[in-house]
Amino acid sequence: MQKKDIGLAVLIIVVGIIVYMRNPLFLSPINLGNTANLIGLFGLFAIGQGFVIMTGGIDLSVGSVIALLGVLFVDMVGKFGVPWPLAVTLMIVLGVAIGLAHGVLITRFKLQPFVVTLCGLLIYRGIARGYTAESTAGFPFGSSYPQLEWLTIGRSFGVPHSFVAMLIVAAIMWVVLHHTVFGRHLCAVGKNEEAARFSGINTRFVTIAAYVICAVLASIAAIYFAMFTKSVQPSSHGNFYELYAIAAAVLGGCSLRGGEGSVIGIVLGAVLLQELQNLVNLLGIPSSLNFAVMGAVILLGVLADQQFAAYRNRKNTERALGLLQKS
Amino acid sequence: MNVLELKNISKSYGAIQALRDVSLAIEPGEVVGLMGDNGAGKSTLVKVIAGNFAPSSGDILISDQKTVFHKPLDAQKAGIEVVYQDLAICNNMTAASNVFLGREPTRKIGPIKIVDYAFMRKRSAELFARLKSETRPRDLVHRMSGGQRQAVAIARTLLSDAKIVLMDEPTAAISVRQVAEVLNLIRQLSDHGIAVVLISHRMPDVFEVAHKVVVLRRGELVADKKASDSSPEEITGLITGAIETA
Repeated sequence: MQKKDIGLAVLIIVVGIIVYMRNPLFLSPINLGNTANLIGLFGLFAIGQGFVIMTGGIDLSVGSVIALLGVLFVDMVGKFGVPWPLAVTLMIVLGVAIGLAHGVLITRFKLQPFVVTLCGLLIYRGIARGYTAESTAGFPFGSSYPQLEWLTIGRSFGVPHSFVAMLIVAAIMWVVLHHTVFGRHLCAVGKNEEAARFSGINTRFVTIAAYVICAVLASIAAIYFAMFTKSVQPSSHGNFYELYAIAAAVLGGCSLRGGEGSVIGIVLGAVLLQELQNLVNLLGIPSSLNFAVMGAVILLGVLADQQFAAYRNRKNTERALGLLQKS
Repeated sequence: MNVLELKNISKSYGAIQALRDVSLAIEPGEVVGLMGDNGAGKSTLVKVIAGNFAPSSGDILISDQKTVFHKPLDAQKAGIEVVYQDLAICNNMTAASNVFLGREPTRKIGPIKIVDYAFMRKRSAELFARLKSETRPRDLVHRMSGGQRQAVAIARTLLSDAKIVLMDEPTAAISVRQVAEVLNLIRQLSDHGIAVVLISHRMPDVFEVAHKVVVLRRGELVADKKASDSSPEEITGLITGAIETA
């Protein structure tokens, strides 16, 4: 664990204690289960976003991908009777295709990630709304898919499977980021693409792979969200979710300038965001203030982190100077 | 035996002749100071040797074997390494990670290959010890001095068993004390039998380490002398054209 991760974990615990003291329901099994479910859902795609941010890019299309693939998945399984394993596979293939498109446009055609994925945000949302003609996509009344439901919205010992899925993904991505050659190259490309290229790294491949990872995790999240909400309203489903993902990644220590980040940090970032959401509900703060609370806490957190780092730097410099004067 | 020999290398870009009939031989462990004014053709010569582009005419011989480089990787495989002016280093990573950047060692755990950090740290500590540098493998590069960064960049070249290291202005942007460190690194390379081509504007640095000085002027080689037979004054004259040839 990096220093930043520990700081974030402490913040989560402190906020948790404060909320618990004001409202003991915070630690009730039902509340914990529901919050864990949301952490799982949001954590899934936040991890992907983190990978893109580490290359120095950004993916704004995540929310729209979740809406579009959600609509398609519900229609395929509910309306056309496609067997769900096939539908899941198709969604992941679509995710790969979307990620490849983003990556190729950014690396081959030298377009800026912000522009490419902003267009993605508009296009995927537009297709979702056009395809459904603005009507809500839902499963037929009385239909049930026991295995799919067990995998997505089921619980074991009270732990939601979405949370378990997120933990599994996080564990895999942790190994990928911190212990594989690809992870090393990802950090190198994010910080100094030229240096990476001179070192013989295929920088295009690394960048494209990051966008593919992001889109695939978004497509998996899309399935989980669709199963969780059971119906997908194409104009509002997944709105602003890309911003949740970016917030979680930045809270978790990913630098928007690229090259820095940790999977544990991103997961903790997702935890903190959901904790704040939960805080608004439990402390009786009007839910219309939801975003304001979240924004204020993120701002304070980033500010405190910045100040703390500056303080540490000053201390280090003073110590070094002191040593010099002595010698 | 010459580790590198250039025979009548010329390079032209359209009507502009950047290099004209440049011939040069470098022995193992020799430190060559490559000097010349801006636009004299130093960078072009370095890029030809590094395989960035092919000469218009002339031959390159590596260990007396005629060689053609189609891309930088070919030159790297032949034992030619370049330390770039901006060092091509990633600040956010440790010294060890930078030394191994692009050629990370892995070990297998079951079906997956993971990066062997322990080996990277051990091997780069050995390389830094060989260079007599105090750089520590675990330190992040952005906390390092210019001299230590140079050590990281140079350790990269040792890793690949280079025969020739091309250094583009390694002492341009660092403090006086660090310059001494870098010059020491160059001597270390030379002691290990690695030839160094040092491109620099700084006359004192060149005369401190170079065995021979080569001067380019308008794409032509106007001097190829032992450093001990020359003087900074003479070289300045050769660079500006006050002295025709030597």
